[in-house]
Amino acid sequence: MAEQAYTVASDSETTGEEKTSPAFPEIAIGIDIGTSQCSVAVWNGSQVELLRNTRNQKLMKSYVTFKDEVPAGGVSDELAHEYDMLSGAAIFNMKRLIGRVDTDPVVHASKSLPFLVQTLDIGVRPFIAALVNSMWRSTTPEEVLAIFLVELRAMAEVKLKHPVRNVVLTIPVSFSRFQLMLIERACAMAGLHVLRLMPEPTAVALLYAQQQQQSAHENMGSGSEKIALIFNMGAGYCDVAITATSGGVSQIKALAGSTVGGEDLLQNLMHQLLPNMDDLFSSHGIEEIKSMGLLRVATQDAIHKLSSDMSVPIDVDLGNGTKISKVLGRVEFEEVNKEVFEKCEALIKRCLHAAKLEAEDVHDVIVVGGCSYIPKVRNILTSICKREELYSGMNPLEAAVRGAALEGAVASGISDPFGNLDLLTIQATPLSIGIQADGSNFIPIIRQNTTTPARKEQIFTTVHDNQAEALILVYEGDEKTGEENHLLGFFKIRGIPPLPKGVPEINVSMDIDACNVLRVFAGVMMPGAQNLPTPFMEVRMPTVDDGHGWSAQALHKTYGSTLGLVTVQKKTQH
Amino acid sequence: MWCNSHGLIIIPRSDLRFPLFPTHPPSISPYPHIYFPKYPSNHQILRTKFTSLKPKSNLNDVVSYTDPNNTTFYELLGIPETGSLLEIKQAYKQLARKYHPDVSPPDRVEEYTERFIRVQEAYETLSDPRMRAMYDRDMAKGIHLAFIARRRYQNDESMVEKGEWKNRWQSQLSELKRKSMHKDNGMSWGARMRRQRNKASS
Repeated sequence: MAEQAYTVASDSETTGEEKTSPAFPEIAIGIDIGTSQCSVAVWNGSQVELLRNTRNQKLMKSYVTFKDEVPAGGVSDELAHEYDMLSGAAIFNMKRLIGRVDTDPVVHASKSLPFLVQTLDIGVRPFIAALVNSMWRSTTPEEVLAIFLVELRAMAEVKLKHPVRNVVLTIPVSFSRFQLMLIERACAMAGLHVLRLMPEPTAVALLYAQQQQQSAHENMGSGSEKIALIFNMGAGYCDVAITATSGGVSQIKALAGSTVGGEDLLQNLMHQLLPNMDDLFSSHGIEEIKSMGLLRVATQDAIHKLSSDMSVPIDVDLGNGTKISKVLGRVEFEEVNKEVFEKCEALIKRCLHAAKLEAEDVHDVIVVGGCSYIPKVRNILTSICKREELYSGMNPLEAAVRGAALEGAVASGISDPFGNLDLLTIQATPLSIGIQADGSNFIPIIRQNTTTPARKEQIFTTVHDNQAEALILVYEGDEKTGEENHLLGFFKIRGIPPLPKGVPEINVSMDIDACNVLRVFAGVMMPGAQNLPTPFMEVRMPTVDDGHGWSAQALHKTYGSTLGLVTVQKKTQH
Repeated sequence: MWCNSHGLIIIPRSDLRFPLFPTHPPSISPYPHIYFPKYPSNHQILRTKFTSLKPKSNLNDVVSYTDPNNTTFYELLGIPETGSLLEIKQAYKQLARKYHPDVSPPDRVEEYTERFIRVQEAYETLSDPRMRAMYDRDMAKGIHLAFIARRRYQNDESMVEKGEWKNRWQSQLSELKRKSMHKDNGMSWGARMRRQRNKASS
């Protein structure tokens, strides 16, 4: 194996790489793009280090402002005050908007943001625009993200004094493969190559695995398996993961994610303080945007203060004669956001159930993300997991990016003489992947929480006599019917031999490889025959480029159930 | 494991072992305007760190046997049939460190991926008491072949055993998959050319 190292050094492919010394391979940086804040970290040869911007900040606001024609992001953060971010010229929350259609409730909730989010409610991309010189100028979440990533990359290159290409990005658990594709595209636009896209809590799990391994070394302990539940709630998303860790290997047992986050807490409270908020702000006039910004900042401050105080006075003059003056108690805040907290509870319970574990089996409960400071969130965790204390070994705002940086070093093939990088993450699928069959039902083939790489198959059969073709609609998600899930792509199998319904066997297999690439194989199998009647199909997913369900609807309108399939198991039971 | 490999062209090969399947046309990226570069260089770096982590027992090397279809799950994990849950878990983690594609030698990723999936299957069956009992019962009856077992435990128990044609088809399909993955992992001529172009223009 030693020879291989020399091969790399003399590899002609690397000679084109400019300033980096070939003896020191590039270490992929870890990036955590939060809905509200963002950070970058890298393995510096002995430990993970967070990079600071010119203002000496480790955590930078995730936004891009289009004020003076030239877009500028929150990495340099030249804003005089937070209100400037809320003037309509800045786009933020892009992680909540990316890859979503205008019928999505998350998009609808974004309509009360200071910049323009217009929906036509037909299942297409929402219209998003920033206020530039009193004009709404359109943009897309991917474009905003790419601009932001360009700034991040420039900052990292200045700090590290070498070009940066490879990155490990953290992503929410609930992101579909279509959204992952858009993230990869935004990275490509920014000249970055994605080595890994890690669900956020799995990055935290890797950091935990490293910490456990270090303490096992120090105590000369046996390094026995430890189960940790990781709860990560930021501004945009809430994720749960359960990991089984021993000897630096983090095995992801179960994942659960949803789109509830601090933004929901904020908006619910804003509505509580100003019930007719949506009507007042719907036209997005200059004065209205200003009032909206004032309310947003005041509400945000109140939530932060409620983490330590039992009540907080709110006094804000929104202009136009609207004044809000009240004392807000923690109880009222929790009551207003009851549904959000219930969703968090359900998510934790679902994850425990999926991992086939009881609360007592969990050794450590880790709470990270911006919402981890909220007392109610901590109470939920301690009560469901039946314990007094939560894990205190990591900084809640830095855990994900630190984990991503560790993965970046591991994936770049870096080794550490002290064994701090002897780490491995065994990932699991956050969402089920399957096809539509048995009418409009979603039939999972690779189920949620399946260890990857994975390969699964299922046999289907025809619904009509002499059915010559079958439509394979590939979906991702965990809802009952196909159309409630994310459409990843579709294709047709042809040349099914003329046989009574239920006789032909159609095999659909799915394969997630080492690079998390999904391939779908499908075709007709002929019992007894030497040759297959037609070649198999191999389709790399996702193939859809729009993210909306229009194509599925159009297919249904054109073909109805004429090209349908049913599962074979169901058939034999009847 | 969440890395990107968009934009690679599959070169049609003439040396397919299974002429049953036609050679693949080049797969066209749905986004030809965006180039997703792939850097194999980092993966080619020697991973000395894992040499020390190799499973110590030679038993585990059973996995580098010849015919996977004649190996029991116990042999696959390198543990005795009386092995405890703890032993199963430890063997699994050790083998994961060895065969997980993230840590495997770059030129053997697809082979190790296959092995990892088999190890995973063995672990999932044996770490579940109910499935392990079923597997043990079948083993006593002599039907202990890993691949038959997989079908029995993962799908409905009532599912009928398939004949020889199915096995043949299976092996063809997995060979096909193996090949297509292999092509993506290596860097094709097309990908190399595009990368060079990209570099020249940037």
